[in-house]
Amino acid sequence: MADYLEMWKNLGMDVETHDQLCQVLPTAFGDVYLSQENRPEAMGFWDFVVSEIHGIRPSELIAAQKNGQKVFGTFCVYVPDEVVIAANGIVTGLCGGSQFWVPGGEKVLPKSTCPLIKASVGARLDRTCPFFRIADMYVGETTCDGKKKAWEILGQDVPMHIMDIPQMKREKDIQKWAEEIADFAKVVEEFTGNKITVESLNAAIHTINEKRKAMARVYAATKGANLPISGKDRLLMTQIAFFDDPTRCAEMCNKLADELDQRNKDGVSVFPVGTKRILLTGTPLAIPNWKLHHIIETSGAAVVCEEMCTGTRYFENLVDETQTTLEGQFMALSQRYMKNNCACFTPNTGRIDDIVRLAKEYNVDGVIDVNLKFCCLYDTEGYTVEKAMKEAGIPVLGIETDYTDTDAEQLRTRIGAFIELLK
Amino acid sequence: MDTPAQEISYYILFGNYTQGLALQALLKQEGLTARIAPTPRNLEGSQPCGMSLLVKQEDIDAVRACIEKHGAEYLRIVEAVNQIRPGRNRFC
Repeated sequence: MADYLEMWKNLGMDVETHDQLCQVLPTAFGDVYLSQENRPEAMGFWDFVVSEIHGIRPSELIAAQKNGQKVFGTFCVYVPDEVVIAANGIVTGLCGGSQFWVPGGEKVLPKSTCPLIKASVGARLDRTCPFFRIADMYVGETTCDGKKKAWEILGQDVPMHIMDIPQMKREKDIQKWAEEIADFAKVVEEFTGNKITVESLNAAIHTINEKRKAMARVYAATKGANLPISGKDRLLMTQIAFFDDPTRCAEMCNKLADELDQRNKDGVSVFPVGTKRILLTGTPLAIPNWKLHHIIETSGAAVVCEEMCTGTRYFENLVDETQTTLEGQFMALSQRYMKNNCACFTPNTGRIDDIVRLAKEYNVDGVIDVNLKFCCLYDTEGYTVEKAMKEAGIPVLGIETDYTDTDAEQLRTRIGAFIELLK
Repeated sequence: MDTPAQEISYYILFGNYTQGLALQALLKQEGLTARIAPTPRNLEGSQPCGMSLLVKQEDIDAVRACIEKHGAEYLRIVEAVNQIRPGRNRFC
């Protein structure tokens, strides 16, 4: 197979430790993904990306750096990709979805930190993630206390820019986020040496809007009774969207959406008629976190939508493309990004409205509210979510989990019982 | 939930992904199915992770014939028994 060892060594990676991940990932992917029958042919693209996950995209990023482009690693859907792209930079997601990286994070963080943060820090400090080695700058944000403190530790090892996200959604908060985006633009200009113009920012806004529209098409394909794609396949598409070139991402998502539309016309489903439909809501599921989707979809139900950062929050709402000044564009970006409903805001009633709306749009039978262990914000908001679902007459199950395998059987029992009750 | 005992599948291994993608396109042309898969380490030996093609037992003879007919490039074909087990509950 493709030999990336030399590249990983040149990146300063701990190739021996990284090899442990290479040993387990193909087996997990086989069990979760390749055990499915009748998958859309277009998923071959994402199967290929996973097969070469720490090789092919890192090679592209390194080649771009050789051509003078800068790579920005980001952790959150509030950081506007458009600003980086307008300065001819590249945005990449970073590793953080595997238990493999958690012990490295626990060397410097309290164990009572959420696994996403521990895994991200561990992936960097243990030198076992090529994306963390490649990125020239890391862009953090203040969406939770765990991250804020983690940036202080990570910042000792890598250059970081932190965006201060408002905690409320008043007009002055939207204005503040626009100013924060303008400040970020200055940092990006200085770091890349490239000026952001109205034209370049408009082009970048268009590019990312096209990506959002393409992803929305794939999601829309599971709104009807026919289910042409599994939830876990759709999740994979979303997870990899954080890493891929946005234009290629849009192209591949549109190709998949075309196939799904055709499958819907032909009545081709990957689930039997009557399969219970689940909306998953809560904390993000970074690649390769496929545990919950796999358990749900091997327990007699289908995940038809995710109200998550690795779901609708990533692509819903477009940025206004008609602005003619940078100031107007920064405000347009702020207005779009501030429509995202993260549990870091108070009050966050918009998220409840989103869940109820999505439950109707996707005609779900039940909601599973998932919380990554030690994520205090989403855990606390779980009370409000469950109360609102009960009021709306939507069955709901609250789940807390992490990246380990140890609770898989227990989850299977609880989720299986919940699905049984939906019948 | 586990795959029944003795389920056999085949992984075609390649020297590089260009060979793998070329063979997949060729197989598609001939109406044969093979899915791209990350190569399981127990089949791959000491080489780093990368793509292979997963072929079902009932298709392997036709796939071998197609490879021979076109002289397609590949490294080797490995038989795997019960490699894919959706009930294993082992995640990454």
